[in-house]
Amino acid sequence: MPLSAYLIVSAILFTVGVVGVLIRRNPLIIFMSIELMLNAVNLSFVAISSKLDSADGQMFVFIVLTVAAAEVVVGLAIIVSIFRTRRDIDVDDMNLLRG
Amino acid sequence: MTVVQISFFVLAVASVASALGVITFKNAVHCALSLILTLLFLALFYLQLGAMFIAVVQILIYAGAIMVLFLFVVTMLASEASDTRLADRIPWQRWVAGILGLVLVGALSYLLFTGTSIDNRAVATGANSLSHVVNAQGNTEAFGQALFHGFVYPFEVTSLLIIVALLGAMVLGRKA
Repeated sequence: MPLSAYLIVSAILFTVGVVGVLIRRNPLIIFMSIELMLNAVNLSFVAISSKLDSADGQMFVFIVLTVAAAEVVVGLAIIVSIFRTRRDIDVDDMNLLRG
Repeated sequence: MTVVQISFFVLAVASVASALGVITFKNAVHCALSLILTLLFLALFYLQLGAMFIAVVQILIYAGAIMVLFLFVVTMLASEASDTRLADRIPWQRWVAGILGLVLVGALSYLLFTGTSIDNRAVATGANSLSHVVNAQGNTEAFGQALFHGFVYPFEVTSLLIIVALLGAMVLGRKA
């Protein structure tokens, strides 16, 4: 398959992630959409790495994977602590750093 | 149509459909399961592209560890884990987001179809190429060699990042 086919799939997945962040109001699902965007970028990294016949793109994917794991751990901890102090779930209400 | 093309189109449609599931399902558990499905399809894409190690890591870490963490949190907050029944304060946002998403995917596709080509001089050849190392030593060995020859410093910084994330999660998770 040509490189642009993979890049188009990656672009579509990224856009789905962007739209998810914009239209959902549940912070957990917004977080999942961010993961979707990271994975879309990973797909284009792997595709370009395979077309360039070089391992560099796979290294980037590895680093992105680690950063995503760390991000999920901290982000979910923040969401849980927000839920502990406030009972509501709407991101529109989370407009204060201290609540 | 070759087998590669057919599997590509099946995977493309399936991954985009499950990604749309992530942003459309009402229940957060269904969204998480849909995301797991997307990640598994992406792992199959990686297999198709010959990145075996990345595919296995994707399944183990993403679909395994990260999504289990997600599901734990979603079920912990189960009573609140779906969108609120409160009225949407900015109802036009949905439409604007859809239109902007279409604009984004159109612009990206246009650029990809018109602007991208890989210079042949950029493609690795000979002993430097990934396929050469993979044939000589194996897939995981080639990955490890590339990681520990060219990317030692980012790899070490990653360990620092994980320590910080661990400490951050512990600080945020303690009883306030």
